[in-house]
Amino acid sequence: MDGLKVNITNNAMLIQTAFKNIIRGGKRTWLNVVVLSFVLVIMVAYNGLLDGWMEESRRDTIDWESGWSQLWHPKYDKYDIFTLQDAHGIIPKDIKRLIDNGVATPILVIQASIYPHGRMQNIVLKGINTEQNILKIPSEKIKTEDEDIPAIIGTRMAKSTDLKQGDRIMIRWRDKNGVFDSRQLLITHIFETKIGSVDSDQIWININDLYQMTGMGNEATYIVLNKEAKIKSDLSGWKYKSDYFLLSDVRAMEKAERVESIIIFIILLSLALLAVYDTQTLSIFRRQKEIGTYVALGMTPKKVTSLFTLEGTTYSVLAVLFAAIWGTPLLYLFAKTGLPMPEAYTNIGLPLGEAIYPVYKITSLIKTIILLIILSAIISYIPAQKIAKQNIVYALKGKIN
Amino acid sequence: MQLMNDEPMKKQIIKIIICNMALMVSIPLIAQDGNKMLQDIDDNLSANSRIIESTMIIHGKRNDRTITSKSYTMGTDKSLTEYMSPPREKGTKMLKLSNEMWVYSPTTDRTIMISGHMLRQSVMGSDLSYEDMMDDRKLTVIYNANIEGTENYNGKDCKVLILISKVKDAAYQKQKMWVDTNYLIPLKIELYAKSGQLLKMITMSDIKQTEGRWFPMKMTYKDMLAEGDGTEWVINSITFNKQIPDYIFSKASLKK
Amino acid sequence: MFDFIYKGIIRDKKRSLLPIIVVTIGVFVVVFSDGIIGGMINNMISMTANFQTGHVKVMTRAYAKQENEKPIDLSILNAGELINQLKKDYPIVDWTPRIMFGGLLDIPDQKGETKAQGPVSGISVDFLTTGSNELKRLGIKKAIIDGTPINRPGQILVSVDFAEKYNVKPGDIVTFFGSTMYGSMTFSNFTIAGIVRFGNSMLDRGAIMIDISDARLLLDMDNAAAEIVGFLPEGKYNNEKAEEIKKSFNDKWTNNKDEYAPIMTQLMDQEMMSATLGYAKRMSLIMIVLLIIALAIVLWNAGILGGIRRYNEFGIRLAMGEEKKHIFNSLMIESLIIGIIGSILGTTLGFMACLILSRHGIDYSAVMRNVSLMMDPVIRTTITPRMLYSGTIPGIISILVGTALAGQAIYKRNTAMLFKELD
Repeated sequence: MDGLKVNITNNAMLIQTAFKNIIRGGKRTWLNVVVLSFVLVIMVAYNGLLDGWMEESRRDTIDWESGWSQLWHPKYDKYDIFTLQDAHGIIPKDIKRLIDNGVATPILVIQASIYPHGRMQNIVLKGINTEQNILKIPSEKIKTEDEDIPAIIGTRMAKSTDLKQGDRIMIRWRDKNGVFDSRQLLITHIFETKIGSVDSDQIWININDLYQMTGMGNEATYIVLNKEAKIKSDLSGWKYKSDYFLLSDVRAMEKAERVESIIIFIILLSLALLAVYDTQTLSIFRRQKEIGTYVALGMTPKKVTSLFTLEGTTYSVLAVLFAAIWGTPLLYLFAKTGLPMPEAYTNIGLPLGEAIYPVYKITSLIKTIILLIILSAIISYIPAQKIAKQNIVYALKGKIN
Repeated sequence: MQLMNDEPMKKQIIKIIICNMALMVSIPLIAQDGNKMLQDIDDNLSANSRIIESTMIIHGKRNDRTITSKSYTMGTDKSLTEYMSPPREKGTKMLKLSNEMWVYSPTTDRTIMISGHMLRQSVMGSDLSYEDMMDDRKLTVIYNANIEGTENYNGKDCKVLILISKVKDAAYQKQKMWVDTNYLIPLKIELYAKSGQLLKMITMSDIKQTEGRWFPMKMTYKDMLAEGDGTEWVINSITFNKQIPDYIFSKASLKK
Repeated sequence: MFDFIYKGIIRDKKRSLLPIIVVTIGVFVVVFSDGIIGGMINNMISMTANFQTGHVKVMTRAYAKQENEKPIDLSILNAGELINQLKKDYPIVDWTPRIMFGGLLDIPDQKGETKAQGPVSGISVDFLTTGSNELKRLGIKKAIIDGTPINRPGQILVSVDFAEKYNVKPGDIVTFFGSTMYGSMTFSNFTIAGIVRFGNSMLDRGAIMIDISDARLLLDMDNAAAEIVGFLPEGKYNNEKAEEIKKSFNDKWTNNKDEYAPIMTQLMDQEMMSATLGYAKRMSLIMIVLLIIALAIVLWNAGILGGIRRYNEFGIRLAMGEEKKHIFNSLMIESLIIGIIGSILGTTLGFMACLILSRHGIDYSAVMRNVSLMMDPVIRTTITPRMLYSGTIPGIISILVGTALAGQAIYKRNTAMLFKELD
């Protein structure tokens, strides 16, 4: 009989025996290994996809909107447009220093009206430094071409207002004293972003133009900080907003996606583990004499149970190795090509690109592997624990029920 | 003097030269005349107190609406408007005290503060914003006027007056008025943005004599940036300088 | 022979039970996941349809052009007549009016003066007409975290974050302040009936819901509607049907050049919706194919194991002179029967599980607090005819293939060695 060893007493030997039994198991071993490795690769790919998406969303939100953290004018509330009228003020010295050091950039936000299709539409006008490189807003594209004020808008705004690059639009606003002013803006660039909140219902112009237009020189509504700013609390009365606060929507979205992934994993795992269970049950049945022999040779039934549990677990270990062989190049390729997304996705504010590129995180990879191994250990243990309850004599005769 | 700040440089320079030449000749005389004329207009249009019953006709894209109201104004700080019809609007009151504003609605029996943001909205869907209504200061307080020339408007000889604000917080930095020289009443007013962009146009007609002064009984407001036919405002009756009890202009009186 | 095999299966429970269980579970998983994935896709469709687009939607042309702005001044004025006409022309569709609007919600102090006010976006639907399905359709009951749905005029539902920020609770009276469709100021007092969590951060920050009759009074929109949404029977979207209704309706109006003439759109006109759906369908197909492959491997495995297990039996049968081919054939028929029994059981179980979940659903809203996607935090399943074969065919085929592969071993047996092996 295969794998029979005398003197199986220590654990190292146990593992060795289990491994040898499995390797000699032939086709059925490989079938289990194939199924498990298949599931493992899918899980890694799926998790990678989710991690990739979330990381991209997080990165895009940081790059386009939130920066590393922000400092808000005491009266500013991002979600209450009514606060805008008063939510601006001279940038305090401490913050000015950060801006001068290139680790922060001010944004000034005012309300304004445009008249697409002859109807008044309220929008916000955002002033940004054209030389900033903290946000990805292509502020360098705000270039003066003639007497009209250069401005850039996102694709969503362009669509809802029917504006194209090179178009002009009349805009009306009030300066710091409430005096009406109105000018033509020249759209010098239309940018594409996955972050709808820097696109819809807003126009970006040079902050210096906005200073001139409103008389709010050196003022800001909020300050975007990059990583090097190292600010962790309120500064000169301006409210500190951490990345945790600024990225709360991304986090919420991640949670929802995880729930879906768990359902799919449960389905996949249950199929794979079914295969292991099925193999284990039959292999115990088939190897009754072997079991009897082990016991007769001095192994405790508990040890035999461990041996069979280990055998079952070995499937998953082999599966991990096998998955590493065939899965690695495939997953690598997948990371290169990404999962293409329907184009229309970007239009609805979901931070999705043309493709999602999976990102394989070590922690998530290890978690998946451990989960697979533990689950296959448990599922192997269930039929194997019966061994301990058997009568050795019957076992030797091959009459286990 | 003020310059339009977004004119191209060359044009500006030429303009400055021309303006200066013109001003050198005429400043003392015309400025005097312009401001004098503005004073006359103020005397005609404003009063210590005013009680007006009026009809507003709002030309919408899909229908026209008629709203009647009665308003009490005291000086430049206090005013109360009560809507009389249509039934939907009846009993709604708006109280303005300096730069604060409240609305009382009888259906809800609530007094609601109109915050800064809301002040920029249009009044009853008209081409006027709450703010347009609230800036009730005398023209002479806000503007310096120059007579630019004479033009025929609607068959009448008019002086064309250019008003440039002398205070910081004038909603419109520049106005252009066609003033009927007989009545000393503007027949047409154009309101400009700081940039020189025409924002609103008001035309006045149906000038009648009431209580010894001439007053335009019909005005038309038009937001020049938006589509539409504007808003007509017709005065049905007007009383000047009648003592209005102070309690009228209190939040408590809104509920009465 | 069939009878013999059948008896073998029934009597020798050890021989048949495990393979049947394996086939049953495998088929169950495929059928069930088919239902779940279908349910997820349906969930997405119905969320969009229920909250935004309907299966079909009628607006004025002018409104449709600027739909994003929700311009109530461009609403349908004679909505009642239009709805009646729609009901007559397309009786299978459930037509219902809706108005989305914006304004301020003002919270009074004890004297009835403004204590606080905040911007809100309003959603008004038909909650109160008998026979209206809107309450159920929008899942309001489940979304309410405090209080009750709207059950009489003058009530309002307030979103959770707004309620927290302004510290209002059911029973409080608040005033809505906004503009009518013609731009007049309008006010109305409402009693807060309930606090709602929409599960969408934007709506949760500042959305309110009122009954459409209240909205019509409030917005001076008697007999008007911003949108008339239509839902196909049982809330089941059908692209062809929706397209057909849309086309027939729009054809009637092509010659009318009025910018306020009605125009119909359907769910799939939303570029993003059709793209997503096509995508989700492709993905679900891939998922199902993957599952079927995994199932086949498992069953193949089961077949091989079954063969190995009965090594001795075949030995005896061979020794007794039974033809190898005959044993192989009987083995295949046995597998077929096991495959059929398992498939029927698995499909039935899967079907039942889907049926239960399609009625009740797994509510995972507890884990979904503050999620910013417009989605229903309930997993439901769909039931499609595909389920009848999606599990059965791979179930039967793979166990047959598995048995055939395992059965080849029979041909390798050396008769001379039989008794030695059986020792």
